[in-house]
Amino acid sequence: MKIKKDEVIWLLIFIAPAIGLFFLFFILPILFLFITSFTNWDGISAEFVGFENYVKLFNKKTFIRAITNNLYWCLTAAIITVPLALIIALLLAHRSRGWKVFRTVLFIPQVVSSAAIAMLWAAMFNSEYGLVNFLLDYIGFSDYQNHNWLGNVRTANAALIGFSLCYVGYFMVIMLAKTASISDDYYDAANIDGASQFQKDVHITAPLIKSTFFLCIILAVIFNLRQFEYVYLMTAGGPANKTQVLVVYIWNELSVQRLGRGNAAGVIMIGIGALLLLTLRKLLKSETYN
Amino acid sequence: MCLNLKKIGGLMIKSILKLFSVAFISVSLTIISTVASAEITINWPSIWVGKDSKTTVIRELVDEFNAANSGAIKVVIEEQTDYDIYAQKLTAQISTGDLPDVFTVGSDLLDILYRSGKAMDLAPHVNSDSHWNNVYPENALQSNMMGGQLTNLPYELFVTPVTYNKKLLKDAGYDEFPDNYDDFFKMCEAVTATGKVCTSQMTGKNAWTSMLWYSQALASAGGPDVYGKGLDHPAFVKAFEVMEKMYKYTTSDAIGADAGVSGGHFLNERTAVFMNGPWFIARYTSDGIPGLHENIGVAPAPMLSGGEGSPGGYVGGKQSSLAAGKQSDPAKEEAVVKFLKWLTTPENVARLSFSSGAMFIVKADLPSDMDRLFQEMNEQKGNAPYVAPIFINGIGSLPVAKEFSQALSALALGDVTPEGAVEMLKDAE
Repeated sequence: MKIKKDEVIWLLIFIAPAIGLFFLFFILPILFLFITSFTNWDGISAEFVGFENYVKLFNKKTFIRAITNNLYWCLTAAIITVPLALIIALLLAHRSRGWKVFRTVLFIPQVVSSAAIAMLWAAMFNSEYGLVNFLLDYIGFSDYQNHNWLGNVRTANAALIGFSLCYVGYFMVIMLAKTASISDDYYDAANIDGASQFQKDVHITAPLIKSTFFLCIILAVIFNLRQFEYVYLMTAGGPANKTQVLVVYIWNELSVQRLGRGNAAGVIMIGIGALLLLTLRKLLKSETYN
Repeated sequence: MCLNLKKIGGLMIKSILKLFSVAFISVSLTIISTVASAEITINWPSIWVGKDSKTTVIRELVDEFNAANSGAIKVVIEEQTDYDIYAQKLTAQISTGDLPDVFTVGSDLLDILYRSGKAMDLAPHVNSDSHWNNVYPENALQSNMMGGQLTNLPYELFVTPVTYNKKLLKDAGYDEFPDNYDDFFKMCEAVTATGKVCTSQMTGKNAWTSMLWYSQALASAGGPDVYGKGLDHPAFVKAFEVMEKMYKYTTSDAIGADAGVSGGHFLNERTAVFMNGPWFIARYTSDGIPGLHENIGVAPAPMLSGGEGSPGGYVGGKQSSLAAGKQSDPAKEEAVVKFLKWLTTPENVARLSFSSGAMFIVKADLPSDMDRLFQEMNEQKGNAPYVAPIFINGIGSLPVAKEFSQALSALALGDVTPEGAVEMLKDAE
């Protein structure tokens, strides 16, 4: 596209609102977050305290556990949720009978309020009247009668992360959409060569949606790094802070008016996010998903 | 392709100008209509809505106030159905200075509310109007002043005695509620043997019910002034030792449970003993199984042997105070004060108390047919040697109060010892 010299000013005018909004709602808050992280701001007054907030945070077991738990969430998403979504997408890509029903069912959690889903699962995991224990008891696992899934240090994280698998539909739909863009020529050629459906999935479909698969991994890691609502609504980071994650930790700091320390935790979270993204780009070779 | 950016830009600027013109006209019309109506609107984000026992009478009081001031003042209730979310929202509003016109505030936020400088100073109104000194007990308002300002009006009080199911205790062989923890845990064994669960507990949110038990045990072990002795005082460990035992006699879902679950077990006679404030009295009838209210007894919490507390000691304090956001318009300030006066008339407070069972600091002529449980609580409170603060108010630290539920769940799960639970509190500080 050729742009005349006198039109440059108009171009600047056009992009100014976007730049302005980006500065106002992203750059400025991050700068504010960074500056206040070096203060003991409590919402009313603030004094410069240097690196005290950061030192205290890294000396807190709960904060370290929150980071570790977040990494578990990210790892689970990368090695279970997204690969599972890929398998389902490959199966649905065959367009077998009823595939649309499965696609819709799997996508439903995405359109339902996460708060409602969290409440529903909290009820299902309830030790006294929950469906999970009832079913386990029904099939013979009577040891799990009255087991408090979300209130037990050994099972709370597993129950939370396991429940998050119901969001597999989101990534499945993205990858399924990508399979639709694959030319039939590849499959025709494979049919002539006598390839089985499994061979076509593994050698044609999977490689051609690799870039989307990597994109899904990055999205899943980002989503799980900022995991909040399920943890907050189902366990609030408990029991004994065992399911604590970064955003819930930040929320707790902010809710007790330790805004400076909460913001320091926010800065650390941004740093972890940036580090994770850079690592993923390196690992997944950026050119494959650009 | 060569775009005519100049032409497109010109068209866009024209469109934006048109948009601004429409917006300007709309805003002007809105302002004109607002000024013309001259009705003052008072926003009140109220927690006394939904299942709260004060909902009905509060709604009636607002409707009656609006009817009496029709065309001049209108109070609009913004329903806040979750107490914790409301507290968090209010905390943020105090920080940003964006306070509601009228609101209720817990004791833990009174200091920050004063320091924000955004709350209405009610002292001039109290000094110029005899209403306040007539309806409040002596010194009740003066003791709430900070820096010469009165930024809140103490309103709802509470005490939290033990409430127990007499029928379930009788089935376990007990006619009286034990007055010491040794006998209490023997009673719990007996209740468990009948197939029922002894106590309702919870660690979700602020672990309210369990926190009240902890407060009772703490006051029993360290006396009513235990909070001034600091977290190193052995009473904090002793009280956690009581809680550790208590969790052996509770429902399997107590860890992580919220007040709804904890109270629900008692309302449905799955548990025999429960602790909560007088506002819960109405729910024994409205939400409990038939006949529950008649079966309920009230008693002071058991005592720890060798503790510094006294038999019959209660815990409680100010539950919520009334406050208002600072107003720039004197007419609106007067309207807000008028509404606060309405809420604090002895007649209206008596109505609230009668319908809900809640206690108020405002002097009110309560009817003689007040609920039996209310009367028993009131009598026991009157005989109590002290009413010690509850933990989350007395400890004077929001982070410690917030950490309590996590320390308690760690203790209940055997993840930490009672000493370890206190360390968790110290660490939060």
